Amino acid sequence: MSTTFLPCGEYHENYREDHAWWQTRFIKTKMVLLMLVLFIGIPLVADEYWLSVCNQVGYTILGALGVQLLIGFCGQVTLGHAAFLAVGAYTSTLLILEFPWPRLLIDAGLAYPISIFIAALIAGVWCVLFGLPSAKVKGFYLILTSMAAQFVTVDFIITQYISQIGGRGQAFSLPVGTIKIGPWVIDSDLKVYFMMLVLVIVLVAAVVNLLRSRVGRAWVAIRDNDISAEVMGINVVQYKLIAFFVAGFIGGVAGAFWISNLAAISPEHFPWFWSLWLVGVILIGGVGSIHGTIFGSIFMVVVMELLQMAVIPLAASYPKLLMDFLFIKEAAFGLAICAFMIFEPNGLAYRWWQTKNYFNLWPFSY
Amino acid sequence: MELFLMTLTTGIMVGGIYALVALGWVLIYKCSGVLNLAMGEMTLIGAYVTLSFYSMGVPFLLSLLFSLIIGFILGILTERIFLDRLIGEPVLTVIMVTVGLSFFFKGTLEFLWGTDTRAFTPPVFSIEPIRIGPLVIGSVYLWSFVAAIILLVIFVCFFKYTRWGLAMQATADDEMAALSLGVSARFVYAAAWAIAFMAAGVGGTLLGNINGLNISVAYLGLLVLPVVVLGGLNSVPGAILGGIIIGVLQNFCGAYLDQYFPGGVKEIAPFAFMVVFLLWKPYGIWGWERIERV
Repeated sequence: MSTTFLPCGEYHENYREDHAWWQTRFIKTKMVLLMLVLFIGIPLVADEYWLSVCNQVGYTILGALGVQLLIGFCGQVTLGHAAFLAVGAYTSTLLILEFPWPRLLIDAGLAYPISIFIAALIAGVWCVLFGLPSAKVKGFYLILTSMAAQFVTVDFIITQYISQIGGRGQAFSLPVGTIKIGPWVIDSDLKVYFMMLVLVIVLVAAVVNLLRSRVGRAWVAIRDNDISAEVMGINVVQYKLIAFFVAGFIGGVAGAFWISNLAAISPEHFPWFWSLWLVGVILIGGVGSIHGTIFGSIFMVVVMELLQMAVIPLAASYPKLLMDFLFIKEAAFGLAICAFMIFEPNGLAYRWWQTKNYFNLWPFSY
Repeated sequence: MELFLMTLTTGIMVGGIYALVALGWVLIYKCSGVLNLAMGEMTLIGAYVTLSFYSMGVPFLLSLLFSLIIGFILGILTERIFLDRLIGEPVLTVIMVTVGLSFFFKGTLEFLWGTDTRAFTPPVFSIEPIRIGPLVIGSVYLWSFVAAIILLVIFVCFFKYTRWGLAMQATADDEMAALSLGVSARFVYAAAWAIAFMAAGVGGTLLGNINGLNISVAYLGLLVLPVVVLGGLNSVPGAILGGIIIGVLQNFCGAYLDQYFPGGVKEIAPFAFMVVFLLWKPYGIWGWERIERV
C-alpha cells in the first residue's frame, strides 16, 4: 500500500531517482507549498484558539508516531503508550526543576533541550523494560503487559512516589520562563507551535528514513510473520527491543515537548484513556502508514473541536450537554473507532492513497 | 494469624465475584474468539441498571432480575450491531472494537448517571458482620460469595445439561463440526454475549454493594484480564480458580505489602503479578497451548 504509482508518462532513469523522497517535480512543489503554509501561512492566519488546536494535533502526532511504529510496523500492540509519554514529561520537568544546572547552560538556554534528550532516552529504556516480555509472548498477552505498564508507571510509581519529590503535592508547576530554548522563552502558543513543527518534521523524517533502512525492513518482516522472519535470519528479539526503544524515545520527546504547553503537570494528564486514544488515532488514520498517523491526529482533534462547537449552541437549552462534554467526547470516540473498524478498516490513509493514484493514473486508470 | 485468616476469607469471597465476571469473558472467547476489553463497562451497566430500579423502590431481587433481562437484550444487540460484522477480521481490529465499545458505554453511563459514588439505599445486606468462630466477615461479602457461587453452578449446569448450552460447547470445541451438525453459530455468538452481559451485570451489582457504585468499579471489572490469563484464556474451571487466586492475592497485598509500599499496591498487584506469570507460563494454568506454523 505504500507504493504510489508515478503519473502517466514519467519514468525513472537511475536508482537515485527511484529512491528519492520526492520523486516528481509536482511533489516537490507540493511539499514546498506545504512547508510555506505550515511555517508562514498558519501563524499569520490562525488566532490563539486555532494555534492551540494545531499544537494539540502536533502533540497527538508525536505521541501516535511511536504507537504507529510499534503497532503498524513492528506488529507489537501496545495499549499503554501514555506511560512513556508520562516518563518523558516527568523526567524533563524534574531535570528542569531539580537538577543543579551550571549557570552557563541555563543562560545559553540549553537546559530544556538537553532535558528533552535525556527524557527521551529514559523513556526509551523504560519502554524496553516493558517490551522485554515480547521476547516470550505476543498478541493478546503483550497487550496485557502493556496495560500493566500503564497502571504500574502512571497510577503507581508516578502518582505515589515521583509526585512526592520536592514536596510539591500532586502537580508540578512550571514557573513562567523556566522553559527556554536558546534565546527564546517558550511562553506563547505561537512559539510552542514552531517548536512542535520542528519536532514533528524531524521525527517524522527520522522514522520514515529508519523504515527504509535494514532495521525498518526487519520490523516489517517481524510484523508480517515473526516465525518466518526468524527463519530468514533476523534476530527477532533484538529488533523488537529496538522498536520498543525507538517508540519509547519518540514518546519521551512527545511528553517532554508537551510540558512547554502546560503550566503544571500531574498524573491526570496521562490516563489510560490517552493510551487508547493514541491507538484509536492510528486505527482511524490507517495502520502501517505514516500518513495515517498525521491524518488520524488531524481528524480526531478537529472532529472533537467541531463537536464541541456544535454542542455550544445547544448548551443554552441543555446546560448538561456542555458540563458533561468530556463524556460525550468519550462516547463519540468509542463510536468513531467502532465505525471505522467496521466500515473503513484501512483507515483514512487508504482513501488518500486511492485518490492520489486515481489522479496519477488518469486517464488510463486500469 | 487472625489477620491472615480474615484476609484469606475476604479474598476468596471477592474472588468468587471475579470468577463470575471472568466466566462471562471466557465464554465469549471460547465461543467466538473475541478478546473483550469492554468487560469493566459491562459490569457497570448491570450495576447501574439494578441500582436505578432499586432506588425506585423495586425489591432487590426483582431489580436484579430486570437488570438480567436488560443485560440479555443489550448483549444480543451488541453482538448483532457491532461484533457480527467482524467475524474473520484480524485480532487487533476486534480488540479495538471492544475498546471502542467500552468508551461508548462508559461515556454514556457517565453522561446518564454522573460520576458521584452512589450507594444502594437502604442497604441491601445488613451492616452487622457475621461471626464464624474467630472470623468476622461483612455480610455483604458472604452473601455476594453465595450469590456468585449459585450463579456459577447455574451456568455450569446450563452448559452441561441444556440443549443450548451443549450447542455452545460444541461451537467452542470445533466450529466447523458444529455448523455441519446444524448448530447456528450466529445464535451461539449472540447467546455468549448475552450470558456474558448477564454475568457481568450480577458481578457489578455485587461489587457495587461492597463499596458503593461509581465509575471505578469498571476497574474491578478489568481485573478479569489477570484472572483469565492466570486460568488460561479458554478454560472455565481456570477462570473460577483464577478469580479466587486473584481475589486472595489482591487482599493479601493490601493487608501485608501496603505498609511497605503505601498507596495503590492493592490495585497494581494483580497486573504486576500477571506480567511475571506470563513470562513463566504464557498459556495459564489450564489454557490450550497453541502451536504455530508458518
